[in-house]
Amino acid sequence: MHTQLFHIFRNTPLGRETLLQSIYFCKKAGSSLIIYIPEFTKFLMYFENDVVQIDLDNSYLTSPETALKHAKELFDQGKIKASFLEPKNFTASTLPDISTNFDFMCCPRSISDLSSKIGLGYIGPRVRRIVNSARFPVLITSPVFKKWRSIAVFFGGSANAVNALKLGFRISKASKIPLNVFTHAENTSKESYEEMIKNENLTEEMDRYVTEWHMFESGKFEENLYDVPHDALVVLGAYGHSLIRSILFGGKMEKIQSIITNNLLIAGPNYALTR
Amino acid sequence: MRILRRWRHPASWSIFRLDDRLLLILIAVIVGTCSGLAAVVLNRSLIAMFEWLHHFRHYWWSFIIPAIGAALSALFLDKIVKEGAGHGVPEVIYSVSRYGGLMRFRSSFSRLISSCLTIGSGGSAGPEAPVVMSGAAIGSNIAKFFSLNDRQRVTIVGCGAAGAISSIFNAPIAGMVFSMEVILGEWKAANIVSIAIASVAGTEISRILQGNQIAFSHRLFHVGHLDIVACIGLAIIAAAASILLTRFLRSMHGVSKKAPFPIWVRAAAGGCAVGIIGIFLPIVLGEGYHPLRTMIEGAYAQGIGIVTVAIFAKILATSFTLGWGGSGGIFAPCLVIGSLAGLTYHRGLILLWPSVSWVNEGCFALLGMAGLISGMLQAPLTGIFLIVEITGSYEVILPLIIVSIISTTLCHYIEPASFYLKELVEKGQLLRQGTDGSVLSDLSVQELLEKDCITVKQNMLLRNFIDIIKQSHRNYFPVEDEKTGHFLGIIHLDDIRPYLFNPLMYDAVVLGQIMDTNVEVVYLDDDLSEVLRKMDANRVFSMPVIADKKFIGMISKATLLDKYRKELMVQTDL
Repeated sequence: MHTQLFHIFRNTPLGRETLLQSIYFCKKAGSSLIIYIPEFTKFLMYFENDVVQIDLDNSYLTSPETALKHAKELFDQGKIKASFLEPKNFTASTLPDISTNFDFMCCPRSISDLSSKIGLGYIGPRVRRIVNSARFPVLITSPVFKKWRSIAVFFGGSANAVNALKLGFRISKASKIPLNVFTHAENTSKESYEEMIKNENLTEEMDRYVTEWHMFESGKFEENLYDVPHDALVVLGAYGHSLIRSILFGGKMEKIQSIITNNLLIAGPNYALTR
Repeated sequence: MRILRRWRHPASWSIFRLDDRLLLILIAVIVGTCSGLAAVVLNRSLIAMFEWLHHFRHYWWSFIIPAIGAALSALFLDKIVKEGAGHGVPEVIYSVSRYGGLMRFRSSFSRLISSCLTIGSGGSAGPEAPVVMSGAAIGSNIAKFFSLNDRQRVTIVGCGAAGAISSIFNAPIAGMVFSMEVILGEWKAANIVSIAIASVAGTEISRILQGNQIAFSHRLFHVGHLDIVACIGLAIIAAAASILLTRFLRSMHGVSKKAPFPIWVRAAAGGCAVGIIGIFLPIVLGEGYHPLRTMIEGAYAQGIGIVTVAIFAKILATSFTLGWGGSGGIFAPCLVIGSLAGLTYHRGLILLWPSVSWVNEGCFALLGMAGLISGMLQAPLTGIFLIVEITGSYEVILPLIIVSIISTTLCHYIEPASFYLKELVEKGQLLRQGTDGSVLSDLSVQELLEKDCITVKQNMLLRNFIDIIKQSHRNYFPVEDEKTGHFLGIIHLDDIRPYLFNPLMYDAVVLGQIMDTNVEVVYLDDDLSEVLRKMDANRVFSMPVIADKKFIGMISKATLLDKYRKELMVQTDL
């Protein structure tokens, strides 16, 4: 199936690393790359039930005269075809609307704040809104380009985790890269998780794609994360819990993103598997 | 915990899902109340600002007050809330027509603050359009909270706009009519119920907090037959003033965009110009409701010359304020310019025919207001009901209808789209619900892809191809390059008909020889209106869809019609 990854190009060394991650993802997942070189520091993304205004960090407009050349150099080096997105519609004269009809989107941890804020444990508010509203998964990249040689899916049994698992299968199928599943058993037996997989009719895919299912039945979740390979693409669901529970206990995604440095592919609550 | 989990999705609460219409009515009450409150807050803030700045108006340097206000307003919009300048109504219409009324939360307060700074400091603009935007954004965000669908959200956005206009003018019918005529562009029973309720809620909030006052009270007018005939001339003058204001506003905007200065400097320059005009003609400053009352009472003392000059000065001041980056709407300037036009016309009539007993000039001021509003918005009903309600003068209904209709017709003849819609129409972005453009814009090539086509390679023999035809139920066979998988062309069953009955050719012909390489293709991001245009131009019913030079499916008129009907049903039913 033809898929597209949307990337907002930042003409800086950090932006170069992010674009390299996107190019690598596209090569592995067989997606085509759609690059947007912003002309304004803001744009709107209209989702199904939300509109998100992205106020870009000013570094996105660095040296606009070289941005196109730099982006082309990178995807020529990566031997990948890419197309550039030109906004067709504008909510206001300096406020373009960017389509949300993509299969993936690549973001650094923050696109609105200064890049100096980017670090473990920080995901900017705009990136969070996109994850929450988008029907596509968001690739949140590590600051430095790193090839991934395996896929690590976090599966905790929730509906979002099932979606993340299916997404992992999809990427593994397209890239032929081995997939590992990580589960931190919280008062639930392994048999219960296997039952969940069976109920979702995923047993066949589990057998076909999953190399190993790491079931942590003891130890702290944070400590167990050390077992996740440093060169794995981490696939996980996010914002699947209630607001109260998220406020009181925090989500698993928050813990994971504040501890591991891997590239993250996050499926939000509106992620649709239909495409 | 299950109860807490459902807190995130109030739309799923059974109490809200008993009946969709009841839900809309309940939300309409909330939205009408909130947007009414927003209007009252802006009104009170403007009064406070006027009173505070009034003491500085006598100084020689007072001309910089509008400049400071406009600059602060532009800075607030550009740097703090990061929104564009202007009045915002086209943004509301755009969001309704294109994105099911989705609006940003920040829009629910941004224009209130920016327009308060612009108008309160003396900029020539009105508070009505900002409260419309604010009310609409409040409605949109409440609809979002309740996870309403697009159609319902559009209705609630209309409720927000109606509540705001009803509250600021204490005019519930005008609020309803404005919302249906200008914002939604459609009249449907399902919409009317919610919007009427929001209008009532907005008006009631205004009456509770500000008292039940008619904005522009007046004495009784006795309109004679000659007055009604004379209205035709007034309508023509009102239409001319509308066109002049529209063109001035747009040209000022164009000039301002070319100026190589930051937006706040441009806004300050515009404000400065308004301040200088205001030194000589204070009527141009602010929303202008005070002189408006005097004109409607028939007590405006200036002579015809000054009044005529004031029309042009007000048009110029409004263009400087809004065209150069200030924030505010055109409702109030239209009312002022309209009443000035009415006064000029009345005084002209008296000069020409002094022996005729004309109705009081306040009546012509009212009619001029209706003419300007109807002409600028090309919304005659809004003009008629607004003037009837804000003046409480039903006795002028006949000339009011005449002026509004003629002014709208003339303006429509010269400028086919209203001031609010002109830019959207020019960019092809006005897609009213249920229209062809709207239905097509809601569908995408991706949704219409037919993926059951069998692709073939260019070196395949005709014999092998015939086996494939047996398995397929389609007439089109895309041809791909063996090595790269790139799309090369297409074979239609008709193309191979000459060879089908000649078995000698089965092993002699390869598909690369008979495929049609001169094929128009469709890309995933193509607009469907463009795709249909290509199909009509090439007289085909199906076209291949290409992405990254590879064939990914076909798009056909049959599938399009099927989806088109479904989308049309969604858009036209609540």
